[in-house]
Parts: sequence; structure tokens; C-alpha cells
Amino acid sequence: MSERSGVVYTETVVHLAPERFAADVPYQVIIVRLDDGESLTARVEGERVSIDDRVVQTAVRDGITFFRKANT
Amino acid sequence: MRPVCIIGAGKTPFGAFADQDLRSLALTAGQKALKDGNLEPGAIEAFYLGNFAGPQFTTQNHLAPYISTGLGMMGIPSTRFENACASSGSAFFHAFTAVASGVYDIAMVAGVEKMTCQPTARVTEILAGAGDCSTEVKAGSTFPSLFAMIARRHMHDFGTTRAQLSSVAVKNHENGVLNPDAQMRKAITLEQAMNARPIAEPLNLYDCSLISDGAAAVVICTADRAREFSSKPVKVLGVGQASNWLALDRKPDITTFESVRGAAQKAYAMAGMKPGDMQFAEVHDCFTIAEIVAIEDLGFAPRGRGGFFTAEGATRRDGSMPVNASGGLKSKGHPVGATGVAQLCDIVQQIRCEAGERQLKRHSVGLAQNLGGSGGTCVVTILGGY
Repeated sequence: MSERSGVVYTETVVHLAPERFAADVPYQVIIVRLDDGESLTARVEGERVSIDDRVVQTAVRDGITFFRKANT
Repeated sequence: MRPVCIIGAGKTPFGAFADQDLRSLALTAGQKALKDGNLEPGAIEAFYLGNFAGPQFTTQNHLAPYISTGLGMMGIPSTRFENACASSGSAFFHAFTAVASGVYDIAMVAGVEKMTCQPTARVTEILAGAGDCSTEVKAGSTFPSLFAMIARRHMHDFGTTRAQLSSVAVKNHENGVLNPDAQMRKAITLEQAMNARPIAEPLNLYDCSLISDGAAAVVICTADRAREFSSKPVKVLGVGQASNWLALDRKPDITTFESVRGAAQKAYAMAGMKPGDMQFAEVHDCFTIAEIVAIEDLGFAPRGRGGFFTAEGATRRDGSMPVNASGGLKSKGHPVGATGVAQLCDIVQQIRCEAGERQLKRHSVGLAQNLGGSGGTCVVTILGGY
């Protein structure tokens, strides 16, 4: 899979989750505006990100796409 | 199209009622609405029920005839409408179109939800079903998190502050104290509201509406027959329903709800009115940010200024545009499927001057805005004095 990247359009850190995600809290959810024009709701791995940060895709696990902050 | 009036309105208190099941709640509201309109059950020609997730919360399905038969309304068409938190607003819209077009003279619209029989984590999961389960929900979005993402972007784009979000909660709690049917009759300070435990950042516990049991019902009637039943009929001046994407990530700009603007435009056009003609409103404050965006999309505050407008006190009971004098979903409670019709009951109370301590000075034209999900559905209704 080619590495997808984009910009954080908005973000939140979830503290109260349904049971299947309870073990993950707190976790960060973002909407990414991808460079190819698509838009995606995804999770963040590692350092927390803010609006306008550049992010790159790291993995897809259990149907969830993960991004991390891009190295600048 | 014939003019239509609300001739009866009734609701249960909202709260956590271990001894009340879904049907008993709905029957109480329906019976109150019949009594309020001096109606026998046999006068009702069709029954419209708004309910979001009764089958998941309680296992009971086939809900509309389950309730209409309990009310003694035998043989009539009885149908459930599901549009997330705008379920009963949508049921009302469709009942209105049937009466306005002459199919029926008299119809009942009810809304009900029984939520407190499930633990919070399960409630969160059921509510998430109002989002797009194949994308945003799969990634771990909850309803608070969707509105949290709206709040973050609104803060980024317009300078909306944490304190402004909390000023919505403080105001609605202050109003709810005066509402005997409200679930949480407790005033809170700005400091308390700003420092509660986080649910989905930047939203905390006091930014979120409640998990509630409750029901509400209204009876609508063609205007030319309204006075056969009621000395205080309330006119439906305008109503509009609109739809949009469920998933937030499909929307080019999440700081405004196209469905709200669309539904409002239709309702204003039908009423021949503009936002400045509204004297008060009940808006869908499922989260504090939702009230801020709603008052902008409805035209009460300029775009991006909803937070400032609220913090300045404009939406308080003594402000220029009182919003959620009932306490709103925040303090009154939010039994999801009941909310749309409950808002109409609150407006009817104000118009008839029956709102007790929270009675507003200007109360002859009121607007209700009922939002489904994160904007997939919106219903806007404008009611006016008799």
C-alpha cells in the first residue's frame, strides 16, 4: 500500500467509549483531508496531533486506519 | 394546503424511571394529550410514533400499534418513524403533511425513548448507530466525539472559547431548575461547567445532554375544526425537514449544518417569516456546541458568533432571543425519540402562557429545531398564537 498523507481537519480525544474500544481510551480520532482530495475518519498513533498538522498513514488494523504526525 | 393546529399536548417528566417501561411512558403522554384536547381515542384517525432505538434498548419491536392500541385507538394506521434524535420531529412533519393535505382531519404524534435500562457504555454504542457505522463509528467515533470534532473546528475557525461552550450549559441548567418535569434541576457554576471530567475533548460531562426515559405527544387537527376541541389551539405556522450526509467526514464544512439551514429555510418560507420574527426557540442542545451552531444556522446569531451571543446573555430568558427556556436537552433530559415532540409541547406551553416560573414575556411565536445524528436529519417547526 502506498503511504497516504494529509492534513488534520479536526480532532478529539475520546475518554468514554463503547465496550469494544474501552481498552483503548484515551484515544485520538481525527478527520484527515488526504492529499488526494479524499476525507477520512481515522485514529492517531503516538504523539497527539492538532488541526493543520500533517499526518501520514501508518497502518490499517481491524478496519481502522491509523495515522501519525509527519516528520518535519 | 390546509392550515393545521395543535389541539392537545402532553408529556411525562424526563428522568430515570425504573418502574416505567417504554409503553407505559408513551401511554401516559398520549393520554395527557387526549385529555388536553378534550378528545376521545376514537377521534384520532392516524398515529405517528417517533422512536429511535426501542428495539435495541428494550427488545420490543413493532412499536406504533403496540402503543396506539394501548391508547384505545383501534384500527387506525399506526407507524413508527426513525430518524435518530429527530425521530419524533420527523413523525410530526409527516403527520402534518397528511392533515394539511386533507387525508386526515385529526392525528396523534408521539415520541418515546426508554434508555436507562442499559449501562452507559451500551447506550453510547446504541447512540453511535446514528452515525455512519461503516466509516466514522468503525474508527472509534462516539456521538460526543463527533460533536467534539465540530467544537474543535468551530473554536479554530471562529475563536469560540471553552467558557462560551460552558455558558450554554450554565444557562440551560438555570432554566431547568424552574421546570418541574426536568431531569436535572440543578444550577451549575461556570467554573463547575468548565472543569468537569472529559468525555471527548474539548467536551466534558457538562457539555453533554442526559440519558433519559420519557415520552411526549401532541394531537394535530385541521384548523377549521380545532375549536370543536380546544379553546387554545396553537397554529403550525411553518415546518420543514431536510437531510444530509450521516458521516461528518463527508461534509466540506462541519461548523454548520446544511440540514438545519435547509429545514429552517423551508419552515420560514411556509410561515412567511424571517429569523427576526421568532420570539423564542427550543433548539437541539444534545451538546453545548450544537446549540451554538444551531442559533447560527437558524439565523439568530451571525455565523461564528453563536458562542459570543450566548456568553453575552442574549439567549437567556431575559435576553433578546430566549433559547431553551425549558432547560433544553441538557437539563430537561434527552429521551432521544421523544425530544422533537417534547420541544413542541414546551413551545405550546409558552404560547398558552402555561409555563409557570419560566414563562417568557414575548411568547406568541416560537421555533423548534430537532436534529438527527450529527446533522443527517433536521426538522424545524414554527408555532404561533391562536
